[in-house]
Amino acid sequence: MASFARSSLLRQSLATTRSSLLRQNVGVSQVVAFHASARKQILPPLPQKIEGTMNDPVPTPAPHPVEGSYHWTFERAVSVGLIPLTIAPFAAGSLNPVMDAVLCTLLVAHSHVGFQAAIIDYFRPHRVPKFSSFCHWLLRAFTLTTAVGLYEFETNDVGVTEALRRIWNA
Amino acid sequence: MFSQKLVQQSVRRLAVQQPLAIQSMVRASPAAATLGLQKRAVTSTAAEENSILAKQRMNRPVSPHLAIYRPQIGWVASGLNRVTGVALSGTLYLWATAYLASPALGWHVESASMVAAMGALPFAAKVLLKTIMALPFTFHSFNGLRHLMWDLGRGLSNNVIIKSGWTVVGVSVASALALAFV
Amino acid sequence: MASLRTTSRLFAASRPLFRPASFARTYATVDSNVSETPKMKTFKIYRWNPDTPTEKPTMQSYELDLNKTGPMMLDALIRIKNELDPTLTFRRSCREGICGSCAMNIDGVNTLACLCRIPTETTKESRIYPLPHTYVVKDLVPDLTLFYKQYKSIKPYLQRDTPTADGLENRQSPEDRRKLDGLYECILCACCSTSCPSYWWNQEEYLGPAILLQSYRWLVDSRDEKTAERKAALDNSMSVYRCHTILNCTRTCPKGLNPGRAIAETKKMLAA
Repeated sequence: MASFARSSLLRQSLATTRSSLLRQNVGVSQVVAFHASARKQILPPLPQKIEGTMNDPVPTPAPHPVEGSYHWTFERAVSVGLIPLTIAPFAAGSLNPVMDAVLCTLLVAHSHVGFQAAIIDYFRPHRVPKFSSFCHWLLRAFTLTTAVGLYEFETNDVGVTEALRRIWNA
Repeated sequence: MFSQKLVQQSVRRLAVQQPLAIQSMVRASPAAATLGLQKRAVTSTAAEENSILAKQRMNRPVSPHLAIYRPQIGWVASGLNRVTGVALSGTLYLWATAYLASPALGWHVESASMVAAMGALPFAAKVLLKTIMALPFTFHSFNGLRHLMWDLGRGLSNNVIIKSGWTVVGVSVASALALAFV
Repeated sequence: MASLRTTSRLFAASRPLFRPASFARTYATVDSNVSETPKMKTFKIYRWNPDTPTEKPTMQSYELDLNKTGPMMLDALIRIKNELDPTLTFRRSCREGICGSCAMNIDGVNTLACLCRIPTETTKESRIYPLPHTYVVKDLVPDLTLFYKQYKSIKPYLQRDTPTADGLENRQSPEDRRKLDGLYECILCACCSTSCPSYWWNQEEYLGPAILLQSYRWLVDSRDEKTAERKAALDNSMSVYRCHTILNCTRTCPKGLNPGRAIAETKKMLAA
């Protein structure tokens, strides 16, 4: 029984002798500085902090279908709607003004949702609260200017698909 | 050290094979018995233990992730889907906003001047520019179809994920080159 | 080789009690009487010691002769710990892929060390890291506290108010039971969750593939009566919808399960 009680002590002495042995024996073991991580990390994670004890579940968020399932369904509907509108100009050359306007609307919606997902993924309010809300407001402003700009382009210029066709054939 | 290990191992083996023998050995040796009964008084409460744990947690490093994960078509294509999407939508946003601001700033981003600018480029530059514009578009479109297929709950086996991934890469490069030479 | 191993194990009992320690072997080691040329392979292993927290994590190299090592990565790790460096720390228990303790990142992919064969080409080194983007307790041991707390949050147990018709067990048709195949086998090793980039960036709020697979296991259980509540608990921007079908989870699952499909079906259920 004595040997069991002393095993930890023994292990420590073993560890020291072994590692000194290893140091003499070149090639068996060597320590290399860890290089795989980036030199300067972008938004490194904060030190670990656990709320509550091991036995408390993480809090369940309140249901919010507008940000959840409705949002997801809307995003898929927009994406599916973009399929025929993307194929049509290749078949027809360019779209009529109404279809062009629909395409622009869906593109703006798709872009807005896409940017929004990226902001939510990378800039969390609990990590960078000010920057997160700044990004969201910047996105809203840009979506608005883009929508108005596209409206101006549709009404005063030749329309997006026709413009792209002309640039491509220039 | 060697003899120590030998004694430890032989005693361990004895304990497994003849447990009675080792019990008598322990009883016979008071020194061994005292060594086995190291007492340690409990000095910390649950709250203290938790604060020690919380302090230890603050020191912990985060294990490496993106840099060490093996590049696989699944996540690389998904990452490129986002990158190309941001590039395409970013271009649209910047251009449309510039178009809105152009009367005030005196810029020329309307269709006629862009067509003229494009027409003035040499052939090689045209092809290069068209490829740079077409490749994100074709990749994002075809990979988007793949994502919509998955959202329907289809094609979610490893085999299909890998095959459809490489198919999208091939089809988007080919169609982008075809568009560039139109 | 198999017959050789069993016979050597049989002989072990009849060996003298006080045999020299140099002949000691564990199951991670293979007794090879055939004199082959040594197949030395380098293993680079992530090391970090909590006793010296200011020191940066390092990669330490170990060389093993594959002729004398068992076929699996876990055998190599155990052999390194037994014979080269007893300070190397990792979790392991069942050595047959059912406990999920030895989940780690081996050669860039999350898997169970006990189910991962050592690549036989010796020119390439093998790199072993803890599960990606986890807080490291020591060496290859990650802290999975948050993972278990998230598991608890989805209420992974049968919830029903109405008693059964005969007052005995909750019966289920074979078809309904079949819906649980591919879900109940999950051992919660966290390989899939820690392979998911969305989980890397948002593990505080996003539940991750493993927990969502478990959640789906209770959503489709015909005996459970709280499906609406379970769905409501997921219907927000973070819990499920940080999943962007990257599908690293399905690619990496060491048990061959499909968390990606479970999440896709969950999204369909929520949309309906």
